[in-house]
Amino acid sequence: MSTTPIADLISPSALSAEARRSNAPLLICLPTVTADELQSLRDHILTALPGQQIFLATPGATASPDTGDGITLLDYTAAPHTRAGWALTAADFLAAAQLAAEYDAPATLLLGAEAASISPAALQQLADAVLTQKADLALPRYETGPHDALVSSALLYPLTNALFGTPTHLPLPLDAAFSSRMASRLATVARKPTAATPTEPLLWPVAEATIASFTVREVPAGHRTLPHPAETDLNTLLAEVIGSLFTDIEAKATFWQRARATIPAKPNLRPDPSTAEPEDITEMAETFRNAYTNLQEIWALVLPPQSLLGLKKVSRAPAEDFAMPADLWARTVYDFLLAYHLRTINRGHLLGALTPLYLAWVASHLRRSAGDAALAAFHVEETAAAFVAEKPYIVSRWRWPDRFNP
Amino acid sequence: MGQQIESALRQSMHRVVVVLVSFLPGVLVFLVAVVILTALGFLFAAIARRLLIALRFDERLASNETTGTPSSFSDWSPSHSPTLFITRAILWVCILSGIAIGISAVDASYSANSHLEQFLLPYLTHVLGAILLLFFGSLLARFLARSILIGAVNAQLQYARFLSLGVKWLVLVLAAAMALDHLQIGGVIIELAFGIMFGGIVLTLALAIGLGSRDLVSRSIEKTIEKPTPKPTEPTLFPDPAEAPRPKLRHF
Repeated sequence: MSTTPIADLISPSALSAEARRSNAPLLICLPTVTADELQSLRDHILTALPGQQIFLATPGATASPDTGDGITLLDYTAAPHTRAGWALTAADFLAAAQLAAEYDAPATLLLGAEAASISPAALQQLADAVLTQKADLALPRYETGPHDALVSSALLYPLTNALFGTPTHLPLPLDAAFSSRMASRLATVARKPTAATPTEPLLWPVAEATIASFTVREVPAGHRTLPHPAETDLNTLLAEVIGSLFTDIEAKATFWQRARATIPAKPNLRPDPSTAEPEDITEMAETFRNAYTNLQEIWALVLPPQSLLGLKKVSRAPAEDFAMPADLWARTVYDFLLAYHLRTINRGHLLGALTPLYLAWVASHLRRSAGDAALAAFHVEETAAAFVAEKPYIVSRWRWPDRFNP
Repeated sequence: MGQQIESALRQSMHRVVVVLVSFLPGVLVFLVAVVILTALGFLFAAIARRLLIALRFDERLASNETTGTPSSFSDWSPSHSPTLFITRAILWVCILSGIAIGISAVDASYSANSHLEQFLLPYLTHVLGAILLLFFGSLLARFLARSILIGAVNAQLQYARFLSLGVKWLVLVLAAAMALDHLQIGGVIIELAFGIMFGGIVLTLALAIGLGSRDLVSRSIEKTIEKPTPKPTEPTLFPDPAEAPRPKLRHF
């Protein structure tokens, strides 16, 4: 199975007006919105996609035919948002896919909570990626600061890029555009029975698209209001999201052991530590020291001695020099992934023991980025490159877990 | 005198030989029963293993297990293989049955007044129960200790290890006391010792947490005390960056 995963940045000028005014209908699925938000979104859609035939589906809307502007309003039953809409769930994809099949829509644009804050340009980019450039899945890349989307930067993006070779910076999307064949694949995956969790199960569309040899594109989407998760406990949320990703990776092991990863291009930036003022991370470094003292015996079950030695060095470093090396972080995550697969210890314990290590990466990220978005992006790409470089390590350990590993 | 001593010794020796003669066949039967049942156990285990491998039992179970669950049947199996777990269970059931049959055989070889079986079998059952109590107690202690350790570290508690160790020993002491009580060893002494130890551990933990959380509690009380409203100050052109609020971390 070969794939050509591409994440390219599309310039608006490259789009033809004729392509934008395609007669192929576009289905746009919205979450529950107020009347004002609906009107605002309608204006954005009309600005972004003039002349486009659109089915606009929103829960509780009064179905109304096209009033001349090309928009047909539909009512549909959206998934109950137990996650307060901070990420698209399997049920969201299923509901959208069923509606797309019903109306025979070749492209679907599924928007998450706070959709009114999406710019018309972003809507246009997403729709055009699927309608005119024939991508099967288009995900937005929103502009985030050094303090935003940290789990994606530390874990989701580097793992997805290294293992599936698809560099999408927000693999757990809040909004997505997809083709009809991608919709049917997502619906099939979403129908699979999963654990009876208190929240809706997550779905990883990038991995699904990649193993199906579908084309994936990432489009720049500017700023957007990112909704907060309802669950405020980081440990619970992190365990849920990372557990879901690890399960998905485990299920697709035969694919990613062969897929070649893309080494992400680092931004053209030479960080100058002399000009940047690092953030004060004394408290976070102290927290990691406490975690290192207490959790050594559990980490020793999962990590090889070399990684433990590396963590010891990190814990002993003063706050002003605190840094989690990218290669150490990559190996640590891979070792946790392997332990999750082998069930070395209880999976709940395993994911709980990962939290302090993730927070150490966050502390390191904050110190490196020094409040600057460009420096933060540089550090994220550096982390992603380390995951790619260390991929042979996880492939080898996955195949021969009992082999001596110093 | 000498003849009387010789006669007494001969009679004693005769009784010993009689007991030995009646006991040795019983031991032989015990050994034969254990060996046969062990061999049968290996046979049944091998058949079950082949059958389960042919049915791809492990794979089927893994695919049926709901994804994302923190613990499952595989977590409790040796080498995380349910097939291995079942085959070993069959083997040990056979071995234990062999031991039980062997004890019955030993008892049968004695005189009717001995009733060894009536004493040994219930006691062996109690021993088995005590072993199971200790086994599950230690499993529970380890699970709870790890849960508490990870939870306390993630809650940024300084005394996480101490708390985890305290809970671990609480459960271990409880399991050991239950096992000894099950074996009817020690009687009141065990109950008394258990009460003292359990109470001691709880008191130590309470003192440690109380003293360790002193600062936390005082900070919490300080927060509830109404703070005086700050005097309005003139806005400065160049605010101190150290006083500026730090941006909130957004993990998702």
